[in-house]
Amino acid sequence: MRDVYIIGTGVHPWMGFSEKIFVDFAAVAVEGALKDAGIEWQKIQSIMAGIFIYGGNAGHLSGQYLESIFGETGIPVVNVYNACATGSAAIRMAYNSVAAGETDTSLAFGADVSPKGFLTAKSDNAVQDRDVIRWKMAGQPNPIYWALECTKRMAKYGTTDEDLARVKVLMSEYGSKNPDARFKKVYTMEEVLNSVYVSAPLRLYEICPVSTGAAAVIVTADKELIAKANNPVKINATTMGSALYGDPTIRISAVSCPAVPEAPMLSESYCASQKAYEKAGIGPQDIDVLELPDNSSWHYLQYLETCEFCGEGEADKMLRDGETKIDGKLAVNPSGGFSSFGEAMAAQAVWQVVEAANQLRGRCGERQVKDPKVAMAQTYGLMGNSGTTIMSI
Amino acid sequence: MENMENKVARIPGLVDWSTDEVRIQSAKCNSCGTYFFPKEHYQHKPGCSREGVEDVLLPNKGKLASYTIQHYPCPPPFKTDKKITPYGIGLVEFEDEKIQISGIITDTDLKSLEIGMEMETTTLSMFTNEEKQDVVTWAFRAVK
Repeated sequence: MRDVYIIGTGVHPWMGFSEKIFVDFAAVAVEGALKDAGIEWQKIQSIMAGIFIYGGNAGHLSGQYLESIFGETGIPVVNVYNACATGSAAIRMAYNSVAAGETDTSLAFGADVSPKGFLTAKSDNAVQDRDVIRWKMAGQPNPIYWALECTKRMAKYGTTDEDLARVKVLMSEYGSKNPDARFKKVYTMEEVLNSVYVSAPLRLYEICPVSTGAAAVIVTADKELIAKANNPVKINATTMGSALYGDPTIRISAVSCPAVPEAPMLSESYCASQKAYEKAGIGPQDIDVLELPDNSSWHYLQYLETCEFCGEGEADKMLRDGETKIDGKLAVNPSGGFSSFGEAMAAQAVWQVVEAANQLRGRCGERQVKDPKVAMAQTYGLMGNSGTTIMSI
Repeated sequence: MENMENKVARIPGLVDWSTDEVRIQSAKCNSCGTYFFPKEHYQHKPGCSREGVEDVLLPNKGKLASYTIQHYPCPPPFKTDKKITPYGIGLVEFEDEKIQISGIITDTDLKSLEIGMEMETTTLSMFTNEEKQDVVTWAFRAVK
């Protein structure tokens, strides 16, 4: 396998609902990545596209629609969906194509336009699609799932309302320093604790909304392109994981879960991160910057444990002690996280890698971590989808 | 006694009220011992022969393993005639079957919710359909 480097990244800033079409957002991110890499479009030898599930035929073939904008060149274009880990799948395929020598330079991207209003069921066949049951019978929007786990955590480890609010306070401070963030207001503890409950114990400012955004990454093993790139970032590992039998987490769309754990919580994320540590020969103790999926304050805490940055029930203390701040032992979400961005399903996992890579490249201005060498991007998708990317400079 | 002929589940095959006790319609694999719900959504241990899956009814009573209180209305296709927010969602554990089921908490003071409390399965009327039938889902309530 060849060494693979990120040489170009691009983002369309995150925002709320837009009348613009998804591929226009994608084009902005891809244009940015090409400019950053300093290469012509014709250098791209494969495209790994995250699909936009609400975009009909165009959204499901997002790679072809993107290719047509820049000019069709006959290269392999693969369109992929893994829920909120969709971008991880695209990056993994781009990496594998280049590492294996199938192509020298590959583009991974994702773009998503927030649906107007709420996410909801995508079919009406309850036998085939369990998701229909949770919407029609159980009245369970996504934050319910996070809240059920959060209640368990509070009872088991003594996580407090203040701990949950502290996550938002910190994320909002960093998000305010990120020009690509959708939410730039800085929140106080009092404001967060006074915000309305959505799914108690989780409050409005302790969960993330759905957003519009796009991100793109160009990876290569072409020595000439690496040599002329501005601070190329080596990908040490990019992996995906699915769930393990006996994972006690109640997964989004499910209406049941095992009562007796036979696997770790969020086992898909546990598996993805363990595989990445093993493959990279890099452990959690070596990571300087971590972008984790803070869909809610509960996720922020749980992911530190799932990915073994601390022991079970110890994440609250890490947060309280300031160890997860930009100047702490492990800089967690210096981007401002999903809390400041919101979820743009096809795009967010690519964006997390862009943010982590930009930290290593020293491009993050006011939110820059001091001289980081190793960064990790960790994703979370519903129904047992996760990806981990470990990068170094 | 409720009029059973006039009561219909919004999605069939999930909750049974044909006897005195309301029970969740689960399924069990007799090879690997896994219970799952809904029964169409098979779940087996890796390596299981997957032989001998049978429909089973869970016991009427279980223990509250976790809960949340939902403060905004669930978007469509969820539908109720009356406003039900704020409503509880409980994760109820059936110990012998080693499964937890989530569902709406009804007929219970939400302030009294506590992990470990005993819950029973019931039905919740959501709306009346065009045939004037009472359309229900499964739900849980505190055992009095």
